Amino acid sequence: MEPLIRLQGVSKFYPRVHRPRERLRAFASLMAGKEIREGAEVLHDVSLEIMPGQSFGIIGENGAGKSTLLKILTGVISPSRGSVEVNARMAALLELGAGFQPEFSGIDNVRMKSALLGMSPGELDKNLDSILAFADIGDYVYEPVKHYSSGMVVRLGFAVVTASNPELLITDEVLAVGDESFQKKCIRWIESFLEQGNTLLMVSHSMYLVQKLCHRALWLHEGHARELGDVFSVTQSYLAYHEERSASERRDRQAQRGESGLYKISELLLPQQDDDGALVLQYGDDLKAELVLHSPDGIPPVALFGVMRADGTPVYGVASDYDQIEPEQLDDQHYRYRICFENLPLLPGSYSIRGHAMDPQGIRLCDTAELRFSVSGASRELGMIRLPHRWNTK
Amino acid sequence: MNLFSNNVFRQLVSRAIRTDYLENLTGFAWLILQPLAMLAVYAFVFTTIFKARIPEAGPVGFVPYLAIAFWPWTAFSESILRSSNCISANAALIGKVAFPSEMLPLSTVTATFLMNMAGYLAVLLVLQLMGTPIQWLGIFAAIPVLVFLYIFACGLALFVSALQVFIRDVTQILAPLMTFWFFTTPIIYSSSLLPEPFATVMKFNPMSWYVARLRDFLLLGNYQLSVFDLLVPMLAVLVFWGGLTFFRRFSAHFEDFL
Repeated sequence: MEPLIRLQGVSKFYPRVHRPRERLRAFASLMAGKEIREGAEVLHDVSLEIMPGQSFGIIGENGAGKSTLLKILTGVISPSRGSVEVNARMAALLELGAGFQPEFSGIDNVRMKSALLGMSPGELDKNLDSILAFADIGDYVYEPVKHYSSGMVVRLGFAVVTASNPELLITDEVLAVGDESFQKKCIRWIESFLEQGNTLLMVSHSMYLVQKLCHRALWLHEGHARELGDVFSVTQSYLAYHEERSASERRDRQAQRGESGLYKISELLLPQQDDDGALVLQYGDDLKAELVLHSPDGIPPVALFGVMRADGTPVYGVASDYDQIEPEQLDDQHYRYRICFENLPLLPGSYSIRGHAMDPQGIRLCDTAELRFSVSGASRELGMIRLPHRWNTK
Repeated sequence: MNLFSNNVFRQLVSRAIRTDYLENLTGFAWLILQPLAMLAVYAFVFTTIFKARIPEAGPVGFVPYLAIAFWPWTAFSESILRSSNCISANAALIGKVAFPSEMLPLSTVTATFLMNMAGYLAVLLVLQLMGTPIQWLGIFAAIPVLVFLYIFACGLALFVSALQVFIRDVTQILAPLMTFWFFTTPIIYSSSLLPEPFATVMKFNPMSWYVARLRDFLLLGNYQLSVFDLLVPMLAVLVFWGGLTFFRRFSAHFEDFL
């Protein structure tokens, strides 16, 4: 099957053109047919293919190049390097009312927009009623668009797109603007659009929507394709990246506060770790951990184990004194605790386990060690852990 | 490119006409009134204040002589001035929707020509009613002249509108340039009044040919051919081709500079 879109090694470079002199210099090098070297590279060597029926999500932080990539896909801008091939009748819903002119009435803008989408006047006349019904903004269509609320602009824009009967729909984060009932209408429309075998390409910060609507995803990071593949693995690594980033900020703060004391951790280890030190569990596996503590005064310290998501959100914590557990004494000063979390109910994602050394009274936290592990699997369930549940049906 | 049947192009032309001409207070009436008012002003200034006389105008008088050249010139210069900033004025459209951006200057030129030609027709009618014998059959010869003027204007408009994206001052430079061109074209005077060597130099101003031929066909009934009847239309086509090539070469980079 031929891909709807094929990007090969696409880079985009914006020349610096703020001051007149820079503009002139950039123009002169264009005239001479040279490549412009000064400027900012917003996309670097991105390749992707979108197959019919394989909806595609693009995720990434602000400024990662997502919008630029969409502009290249829709042909609004041409890449500095690389090639773009489009084999689909596509419609794009990029920014609020792209191509709408505020001075003109809604109906005039619908005419223009439908022309831009490749509809003939005849096709428009046939579809006008359904467009207006979908937009559902009443007599406002005869008013200039500048008097519209942002929600009404989106309604009208989306309504025209629905009438243009595309094979590939490209959307940015625009649907977030409409009100609840219109959003539902759009999602319903998109779902039926997908059921008919069409393809969606969306940029979103909502991993929920991306996982719900897309099969494959691209994570753009600072203009580079950081990960491309199955939607679950890409969104999970993206979320893990964010979680880690906020966790490392938190750890820095903790380090400044300074946790120190008499009782130290000699070793924290996960016996199931492979040789590289990575631990990947399947949902429902057991998680085993060992903590060796050092006590200079020969009194066994209390151990505390905590499981948290990679961003540091606590999932569960338990200390040895809660359960009145005595450690295994290794020598005068070393004590070992072993713990096993059975049938781990953690949903796929990145997690870490922390071991803490506490004083023998279990009051002061003296030392902390942390190891990472992850739970793999494809699941659309949300949250961190699976709660046992039962659907009650007749 | 099937430009005139393109729906986007039609929309752009109708928009340009509506915003620039028809959405004024009196709307459509201005289409006729404005050229006539202009004609009255020129008639007053040049016949009452300056008492201009054109030898070869003979019995037709100065005002018709001026009017025949003035409206095509206005269409020409206005369309170039208007289209000079049409790319940056439509930056929002270009940055968001993929469409052949050469439609922007071309639609501006088309709208300006359509409007001015409607005014031109009104002026010709009024001149006839005021007693100037218009050679109505000459219209068939005048139409190709106007078409080449349109092609010429399109070529220049493509060139300046693309250039303006990179060099913003183009719009400012153009206004005095067009004024200079206006006065170096025999519109408010006759080339026969010019001393040498200006008279010869002036023959190489393509606009001289357009205004001269329109006067020949519509007023004087002079159908004598010269080598310029071949050269100037060829130049128009050449300028159009050059303008389009220039435009297309750089249109991919517009977004970077807007």
